[in-house]
Amino acid sequence: MFSFLFKKEQQLETLIYQYLENLTRTQEHFVKAMETCLDEGLCGEFGFLIDQTHKFESKADEIKEEVNVLMYSRALIPESREDIMNLLEQVDSIPRIFELILHLIRTQKLKIPEIIKLDVKDLIRLSVESCELMIKQIDLMMKNRQGIRALMATIDHNESHCDHIERSLMTKVFDSDLDKVDKLQLKELIIALGEISDQADRVSKRVNIMTLKRRV
Amino acid sequence: MFSLLGGIFMGWSLGSNDASNCFGSAVASRMVRFWTAAVLCAFFVLLGALLEGQAGIDTLAGLTQIDLEQAVVITIAAAVTVTLMTVFGLPVSTSQAAVGAILGIGFFNQEINLAGLGKVVACWFGTPIGAVVVCAVLYKLLAYVYNRLPLSVIRADILLRVGLIVAGSYASYALGANNVANTTAVFVGAGTLTVFQAALIGGLSIGFGVLTYSRKVMETVGGKLVRLDPFSALMVILAEGLTVHFFTVVGVPVSTSQAVVGAVLGVGLVRGVNTIKRKTLYGIFTGWFLTPPVACFIALCIDFAIHLRYIPR
Repeated sequence: MFSFLFKKEQQLETLIYQYLENLTRTQEHFVKAMETCLDEGLCGEFGFLIDQTHKFESKADEIKEEVNVLMYSRALIPESREDIMNLLEQVDSIPRIFELILHLIRTQKLKIPEIIKLDVKDLIRLSVESCELMIKQIDLMMKNRQGIRALMATIDHNESHCDHIERSLMTKVFDSDLDKVDKLQLKELIIALGEISDQADRVSKRVNIMTLKRRV
Repeated sequence: MFSLLGGIFMGWSLGSNDASNCFGSAVASRMVRFWTAAVLCAFFVLLGALLEGQAGIDTLAGLTQIDLEQAVVITIAAAVTVTLMTVFGLPVSTSQAAVGAILGIGFFNQEINLAGLGKVVACWFGTPIGAVVVCAVLYKLLAYVYNRLPLSVIRADILLRVGLIVAGSYASYALGANNVANTTAVFVGAGTLTVFQAALIGGLSIGFGVLTYSRKVMETVGGKLVRLDPFSALMVILAEGLTVHFFTVVGVPVSTSQAVVGAVLGVGLVRGVNTIKRKTLYGIFTGWFLTPPVACFIALCIDFAIHLRYIPR
């Protein structure tokens, strides 16, 4: 009835959902790029997908900036303002990690050896699943629905599994006959890949705290 | 008209200080713009004074018999007391200052309505205690409802924001209805003004104080309430408004600041936390006990001084 009085808040809600939608698109392009890299190596298609990921990552930054401007123009109460700004800041690290990984592969002309390909695919699959669950959790929080704790538990479980895969990958790389430089390059890649699920876990825990804080 | 200046000054100072009890938390936390808050507060103060100010005016006007000169002395003594207590950093109630000054003149005239005085003093005790109870009950009740509302984060936020504006307007209405008596009731007792004129002049002077000089107090003193979460701040303002409105119906001017302190303690009681430091509480109690005797003493001194006559040898 009085919706015209709260245009900024409605605009903000739309922007947050736009941001989450954009994050999903970035993630899809990252997964496609990684699949291409693992199956075909560095090729034209891989380059195109990196550019697409970068395009969506830049779009995410633009939306986040718009959200910040809206917040500073007194949309929401200060406590919610701070919570949402910090949350978006944390979520925004994820597309940055996607881009970092892809650029790492392109600039260092990384070739992922056969011995670790399956584990890398597994690590990417679990990390992306954590990100999807994290987006779902944010959606539940925005709509004030149940199930946030259950999602947090699944994301936490995924993160532990990813840590396990990460350690196993490190062992395989350093036990192999690869060149020392290649080993160090792959180590950097594995650490960056593991960071995705770590960050999703951090965001998920923050969402849980935000939900608990809202209860009076 | 000149004789009313003391009362108008009291109203102005009351408006500039007490507006923070209604909109301080919303303005200090930048949830509401100062000018939106100030205009709403001034409007509802005037409305409250005009619609429900009569009961308090009747009570204060009936405490003792006074003439115009004594009415002026009372307003000046009350204003000086408020200024002195503020200079010493003690929280002060204009209601207690006004009643203390009326009592001083009453002692001088040897005529005090003890039944009326008893009612006023009982209500002074009742204000913080009542606010504690009202806030604790409101918090429990509304928290139960709020936690079960199927609202999105944004909608819950909007609800709290609208709640703070509505509660602030209601508290302003209660402030005007209850405290207008402190500014101009003595002039009704002296026969200078009718009740309507007193409510109008008092309401306008409080509103003028809100519009011209409340910004600093709202942005600094009001900030004290922001340490509470938005829901608690809303409960505090709502409880303050309800408590002060209750005493308006009873017909006794009370302190909105003391109602706020009581309500903040009520939140602490429900949540099991210390919302106010012990040192702050000591300051409040000191101000609470000192204001009436200080105002009484100052009124006696001023009245004595203006009746001194120079007798040449």
